Amino acid sequence: MRFRRYGILLAVLLVSLLLLTVQTRGGGTGRAGELVAIAVTPVQSLLVRIHRGALGFWANYIDWKAARRENTVLRGENEQLRVMSLQAGEAREENARLRRLLALKSRLPLATLAGEVIGREAGGWVRSLTVNRGRGDGIAQQTPVIVPDGLVGRVVQVHRGAAVIQLLNDPASTVGAVVLRTRTAGLVEGDAGGTVRFKFMARDGSSVAPGDLVVTSGLGTLFPKGLPVGRVVKIEDKGSALFHFAVLAPAVDFSRVEEVLLLTGQTPQDLAALFPTDG
Amino acid sequence: MVRLLLLLVTIGGGVLQSTVVAVAGLGGITPDVPLILTVLIALRYGPESGCLAGFVAGLMQDATGGGLVGVQALTKGMAGFGMGLLVGRFWVSNPLVQVPGLVLLSVVEGVGRFLLLQMFHYPAAFGDLMLHVILPQALFNGFIGTLCILAEAGVELMRRRSWS
Repeated sequence: MRFRRYGILLAVLLVSLLLLTVQTRGGGTGRAGELVAIAVTPVQSLLVRIHRGALGFWANYIDWKAARRENTVLRGENEQLRVMSLQAGEAREENARLRRLLALKSRLPLATLAGEVIGREAGGWVRSLTVNRGRGDGIAQQTPVIVPDGLVGRVVQVHRGAAVIQLLNDPASTVGAVVLRTRTAGLVEGDAGGTVRFKFMARDGSSVAPGDLVVTSGLGTLFPKGLPVGRVVKIEDKGSALFHFAVLAPAVDFSRVEEVLLLTGQTPQDLAALFPTDG
Repeated sequence: MVRLLLLLVTIGGGVLQSTVVAVAGLGGITPDVPLILTVLIALRYGPESGCLAGFVAGLMQDATGGGLVGVQALTKGMAGFGMGLLVGRFWVSNPLVQVPGLVLLSVVEGVGRFLLLQMFHYPAAFGDLMLHVILPQALFNGFIGTLCILAEAGVELMRRRSWS
């Protein structure tokens, strides 16, 4: 056992010294060196290949890790930028809406109060908006509500800090109106389908045509005169019926209303000129 | 089976040394993984296995490192043999002995390699070599050796728990 042990040591010593000797004899090159090279070169080549492969693998791994880290960071940044872009777009749109509202407020010859929409009801039974102005702000029932495009509706419920606005397309909504061009009088009604109709006497409305603008009539004390309500899309001729109906495209896109003006004052003036009438 | 495993570990250590370790050095100092493996093999399997493992590992390092083939084969073979001989004579199963022993053996192996190379007119000064190569590498070896010993102890503990 002991001989075997020292035999191995002796063999290792001898082989190592032999290798060293054959390499250094005659200036380190020549046949001995070639002999070593013949034995070592294939191993070396193999190891170098493994070495390169492993190095490449390692480098790829490092690159992959770095790329993954970078990817995570960039994804985060991208997400943040998208949110910022959305916020900026939102702010820009809100700014534009508020500018239009402010311009209208300054043009109107009556007292108004701006309100922000905080709730919506569009189930069909009732179509309404809730705004953040209420009794505390001096809002009363039946207060007309407008946006720069025209009439939105009227306040039907007032709470302490909020008010519910009945939209023009609510089935229970009726507003006295006239066709701006022909001065044909009638009633604008909402219906369960969400459309807005202008009901007028057949004998007065023969000249009403698609494209005509319908505005509030100003009869009574509720709505000021000349607030745009909608534009005639088609006439429903009932033949010999007493009343005819005109289907209107509302002047206001109720689904996009975010801020409104509540008309707290009164004016006998015709406001039609203050709104866009060219379509 | 054990011999094949030892051969694979030895070759793996050589490949590791020339690949991952070569890249993951600190301040230009890299641990001598084949020497650490040689010591661990010698501690576990005795002087013959330690000697052969050191020889093969050193030969591979010589072959891939571009120096004189046989220098490290000789010094590592002797280091493995020497460490294997200590098993049973000293209290080398204790990690508190193993780690300083590994550091010391690394220094001895480095000095032995320097002395051997002197026979072939190696140009570097001993002081510089000791300060910049042998001692830092020996300390690095001690650190890596500690990790290896801790890992081995952990594996052993898990194995015992699974048996009991």
